[in-house]
Amino acid sequence: MTHGLIDPREPLMSDEKAIAVATLVSATGSTSKKVGTKMIVGESGRLLGGVTIGGCVDAQVVEAADALLGQGGRCMLSISLDDDEAWEIGLTCGGTVDVLIDRVDVRDSDDPIRSAHAIARETLARDEAVVIVTPLDGRATAFVVTENGTRYGTLGDALLNERAAAIATDVLSSTSRIEEIEHAGTSRKFFFDRQAPPTKIVIVGAGQIAMSLTKMARELDIRTIVVDGRDRYATRERFPDADEIRVGMPSEIVAGIAPTKRTAVVLIAHDYKYELPALRALLRSKVGYIGMLGSKKRGVAVRALLREEGFTDEELDRIHTPIGLDIGGKSPPEVALSILAELVAVRSGKRA
Amino acid sequence: MTAFRAVVLEHFKHPRNRGSLEGANASEEGANPLCGDRIRVQLRVIDGVIADARFTADACALCIASASVMTEQVRGMSVDEAMRLEIGVIHRVLEGDPPAGRVKCTILPLDTMRRALSKPESGAS
Repeated sequence: MTHGLIDPREPLMSDEKAIAVATLVSATGSTSKKVGTKMIVGESGRLLGGVTIGGCVDAQVVEAADALLGQGGRCMLSISLDDDEAWEIGLTCGGTVDVLIDRVDVRDSDDPIRSAHAIARETLARDEAVVIVTPLDGRATAFVVTENGTRYGTLGDALLNERAAAIATDVLSSTSRIEEIEHAGTSRKFFFDRQAPPTKIVIVGAGQIAMSLTKMARELDIRTIVVDGRDRYATRERFPDADEIRVGMPSEIVAGIAPTKRTAVVLIAHDYKYELPALRALLRSKVGYIGMLGSKKRGVAVRALLREEGFTDEELDRIHTPIGLDIGGKSPPEVALSILAELVAVRSGKRA
Repeated sequence: MTAFRAVVLEHFKHPRNRGSLEGANASEEGANPLCGDRIRVQLRVIDGVIADARFTADACALCIASASVMTEQVRGMSVDEAMRLEIGVIHRVLEGDPPAGRVKCTILPLDTMRRALSKPESGAS
């Protein structure tokens, strides 16, 4: 269930006629699940995903979804939690979670939620982010705005669509949220559901840190591509969790992957023979993160060499070295953890 | 710094003939499987003479310096002369021999070039 979006080809969904899609649209308190997280409940009782880490909230969502599947329509479930309950499900203090539940006819291609999810999946497959806008009240409608500005569907009114598109453009570069839109003398709330392609890490250097990175990244829903010039190192046996393994000239492979802002490249071969050519290929690219294993002193030396070749300080400042958050770890899994921690911080807009 | 190190470093920082060669009719990629040096040598052979030679590499300083010198040396040579080029010639231009255990780094470009020129489909055959 990529991104929690409906996929009629999903084996668990192929024999469902109707499903309920529950979306966490707001949470006060610190939740361990992001706003936008989805759970799907099938008519047969099947469950996919979860809007919290479990406990009473998911149970109430399933109960409400079961009722909705019988009667149709949609509903908003607001659940207040006292501190004890909140702690149990991963909120650090009490608060409220709001979950929007829509009944979706899986086999009806005109169903607005189903159509919006299909467009979102196609957009994500092109490595573009997308925002699905749905009202929190009234009947289900959906309006989709993609990263390249294309719009699909409607909220039922052209002016409403225009106002929603303007907000969606902002949401594309931030996070999912509820927004109010004034229209025809009334104020209505809409959920702006941002879906972005998974972060991708290109790992140059198929050593032990890379092995730990690929294992941990999978848990974080981050795609991994392992790159090395040595076919004895970059093997499926050593990297069972890697999404891709490429052997060849590392700098050419890295350049050929066409890095985007959602791509991170981590240079962990600890060998200038791979680092320098890869950095030449990356420093003027759109890649979102460049990290290099090594001490500050080593970083200074590599930067000095590249500065001699004409790279500017601004370009060289893109290199994170020493790589990773300083958590004091030394072993390969600890270093991998610090690298992923820094990537998550950068992805979340927190300066590590 | 020894003369050898100085010459290697100069070629590493300012390699001659680095980059891909348009119109190459002999090309081969070589690798040292454990240290990870990788190089592609491309040549344009016209009437049995090497008109141009270039290389692309993700490799150590010794390998890049050796490739830099080699591509300079073989320009204008006949294919037979290039096939007989000895590593000692490249070491003399580098003003020394690499440390024991690193000779494989300087030999890789030469070995790769020889394999490129030996390919039946290359313009050298």
